[in-house]
Amino acid sequence: MLTLRLTNYLHGTVRVKISGAIPERFINLCLARGIFLWGINKHNDDVYASLRLPDFFRIRPLARRSHNRVEAVGHAGFPFTLKRVRRRKMLVVGAVLFFVFLNLLTARIWFVDVSGHKEVAAERITGAAAAHGLRPGIAKADVDLKAVEKEMLLALPELAWVGVNLTGTRALIEVVEKTLPKAGDKSPAHIVAGKDGVITEVIAIAGQPAVKKGDTVKRGDLLIKGFAADPPPAARDQTPIITLPASYVRAAGIVKARVWYESYGEAGLAQEVLRRTGRKAVAVSLRADGHELALKRVADQPFTRFETEVVHKKLSGGRNSNFAVESIINIFHELVAERYEITVEQARDIARGKALAAVQDRIPEGAQVLTREVTTLQTAEPRFVRVKVMVETVEEIGQTMNINLQ
Amino acid sequence: MQRRRKGNLQRLAGLLEIPADIVLDLPRITMLGNKQLLVENHKGIIEYTGALVRIKLSQGELNVAGAELTIGNFQAEQLLVEGTVTEIKYET
Repeated sequence: MLTLRLTNYLHGTVRVKISGAIPERFINLCLARGIFLWGINKHNDDVYASLRLPDFFRIRPLARRSHNRVEAVGHAGFPFTLKRVRRRKMLVVGAVLFFVFLNLLTARIWFVDVSGHKEVAAERITGAAAAHGLRPGIAKADVDLKAVEKEMLLALPELAWVGVNLTGTRALIEVVEKTLPKAGDKSPAHIVAGKDGVITEVIAIAGQPAVKKGDTVKRGDLLIKGFAADPPPAARDQTPIITLPASYVRAAGIVKARVWYESYGEAGLAQEVLRRTGRKAVAVSLRADGHELALKRVADQPFTRFETEVVHKKLSGGRNSNFAVESIINIFHELVAERYEITVEQARDIARGKALAAVQDRIPEGAQVLTREVTTLQTAEPRFVRVKVMVETVEEIGQTMNINLQ
Repeated sequence: MQRRRKGNLQRLAGLLEIPADIVLDLPRITMLGNKQLLVENHKGIIEYTGALVRIKLSQGELNVAGAELTIGNFQAEQLLVEGTVTEIKYET
């Protein structure tokens, strides 16, 4: 069936109207001559039929012999398409040019992207790539990717590995940087207290401890002195060693202390919650190249209470991620305040939660919490609950502070 | 005389297991529901209107009555009638 339709298309087909006394006679004559007809139907005493274009030129004598009038009413197929195309030569020229340009443009590299870099600037990597032939606009055939990889490794000693991949017109340079050992600060320093507390543990790795277990320290107090440790005292039968003024070192060590934190939280019995009413106003603006163009505006204060939701819409995708045009949609949701009462217990829980959240921010990650004490405070206002939270932790409080030798 | 020859031929066809339509020059009619009617080995059409198609056969004719009848395919070997077929009548 497909081959039949294909040959019909290639030959071209003509729809004819057969009018006369006995159209059947014409149809039978066609049959005798081997002319293929299809889609025969009758419409107001006229018979319509389809046939192939080469056959159409053979039916004139048959029509005359059967005393019918045959009239072409429609046509389709390749010969007719070709005729139309011949009249519109520029269309064909345009189509050919399109493919030629497509081929020419896809044979070049237009984008060079870098991924995997941390310390080395992307510009340095693309610069090194450009110096060895990989730059936007160059023909793919002219670039030896393996050679570029090798040359870039030599040009940038900070890189451990370079891989260049081509995807279409985009070259992706993947790099892995060498991890170099960090040059630590070697200048002499003390360790001082970063917080108030009671010392529980002092381990001096370098320097001389200035505090001992049980001491109370204030923020800024010296914990480990940045002096070299004293030499051991001389034995009784040896000549005493003259102690020179201690030289400075960079103090290092662990100083742990008990630290107390305190915070307050309060909550009223009357609570208010904001809820969206469902009414909203939408403002749409278009931003292109730094300019903003409002497409749809709303009044400055559309509702008495509202919250704003901002949606940025961009043409995203691949290399055009920093596409110049974006649309910004501001949605203003109207809010309504709802009041309700809570019990004293619930208010206390809320106040406690607030107080704990406030204190949690100040406790460092590695701290070990010893106790957590919550006390409800008496307040003058009857419809108000105030809570105090005390947290005791043991944590590292040492902070390195460089010694200014001048 | 002719009838006897035909009887012999039919017997021969049965004996050799050859389809009778080839030996006896009979039409083969295939119907797909009442939508399509395919007539092979026909001799042309006698009359065609939207409600009636008269097909000439080697002996007699076949009258196909129905509604919105069209001839979908018209070739020397086969003829396809499409539309809604309501009645087929064999006339010798």
